[in-house]
Amino acid sequence: MPDTSPGVEPLTDAVIEAFRRGDDAAVRAMYGAYSRLVFTVAHRVLGDRSLADDATQQTFVQAWRAAATFEVGRDPAPWLATIARRAAIDIQRREARRPTSPLDSAPADDSALVTLPPSADQTWDAWQVRVAIDALGQAERDVVRLQHLEGYTHSEIAEHLGVAVGTVKSRSFRAHRELANALRHLREPVDEP
Amino acid sequence: MDPTHDPDAFDTELPHDVAVLLGDPSLWLEPSAAVELLVVTSIVEESAHQQVAVITRRSWRRDPRLTALLGAAAAAVVVAAVAVALRPDAGAGEAIGDSTIAMTGTDLEPSVSGVAGITREASGVRVYVQVPGLPRRDGDEFYQGWLRSCDGERLAPIGSFHDLTDAIGWAGVDIDDFPILSFTREVVAGPQGTGQASSGEAVVRGELARCP
Repeated sequence: MPDTSPGVEPLTDAVIEAFRRGDDAAVRAMYGAYSRLVFTVAHRVLGDRSLADDATQQTFVQAWRAAATFEVGRDPAPWLATIARRAAIDIQRREARRPTSPLDSAPADDSALVTLPPSADQTWDAWQVRVAIDALGQAERDVVRLQHLEGYTHSEIAEHLGVAVGTVKSRSFRAHRELANALRHLREPVDEP
Repeated sequence: MDPTHDPDAFDTELPHDVAVLLGDPSLWLEPSAAVELLVVTSIVEESAHQQVAVITRRSWRRDPRLTALLGAAAAAVVVAAVAVALRPDAGAGEAIGDSTIAMTGTDLEPSVSGVAGITREASGVRVYVQVPGLPRRDGDEFYQGWLRSCDGERLAPIGSFHDLTDAIGWAGVDIDDFPILSFTREVVAGPQGTGQASSGEAVVRGELARCP
């Protein structure tokens, strides 16, 4: 059985072998285990849902085509993250070649104006944070999403979910403790005196 | 600050970079439901073709055992194709098509997604659609399917439907010239109307080829 990233349901070596052969069930298993993570990488690069869908599809097809070079028993995550980033960058370049409107007519937040994709390290950090998010229970995940993505306060989250503020606070504490434990290795290096 | 004293105080003890990532939609979104089917179909079909390609490159005509193997591989292609066509989510035994399109809900139905299969036939283009989750439209209301040109200037109807969960439409146009597939909400035109034209209320849309 391969080593896998924490929080990802491990796929057996047999499933990886079957994926190489293009077995329907194995492809679905591989997709089920890694599609959200691949999509996260693609969306980080592209900033567009439809294009990220394209990159996700291309990532799995390219991974299958290159599967003979993948060593069974190893964690497929770094390999897939690399393919996903490259597939997304290829799509970004393709899109950049398309005829566009003048620069000064584009809104400042137009994703097409962002020319530098995230680095491989940044991509891998995003992958690991997504793994940690997906490993949370649904209730904890909802609180973290509303807090960080929507910018809600604890009181607003409580009102939105129809639960007591104390419940939100305990879920938030539990979720952040789990995230901190899972992502401890991502802490910024401390400057030596 | 002690979070127990302030109901809105956050107990975030996460690295700054992680906190920033948690606010990025990329970390919370999921791929459209149609992507899985597109991935599985692409790989299974390509895999089946590879099996035949490997064997036909050999000198099978000189070796009856390889002839038998070729037959088995060809049978595997048929089995794979039938498996794809008869998968539970592929509808009542309908092949998905020669080409597939990921269908995405518009702002009117943002949570909807699905897949469409395009097959070129002698009589025209056959469009097989699987877009579950849209409300059924009956009586004077229906969905209308359209193939559109990239510039949006030309459109050809492919049929009207109560429901898009498992629907088939046809059009007598060249799909290369009309690569955009969309479905609009329509109401039957009255006798004094100017005819049935698109309402412009597209609920789901996909592109066979990305338009320039």
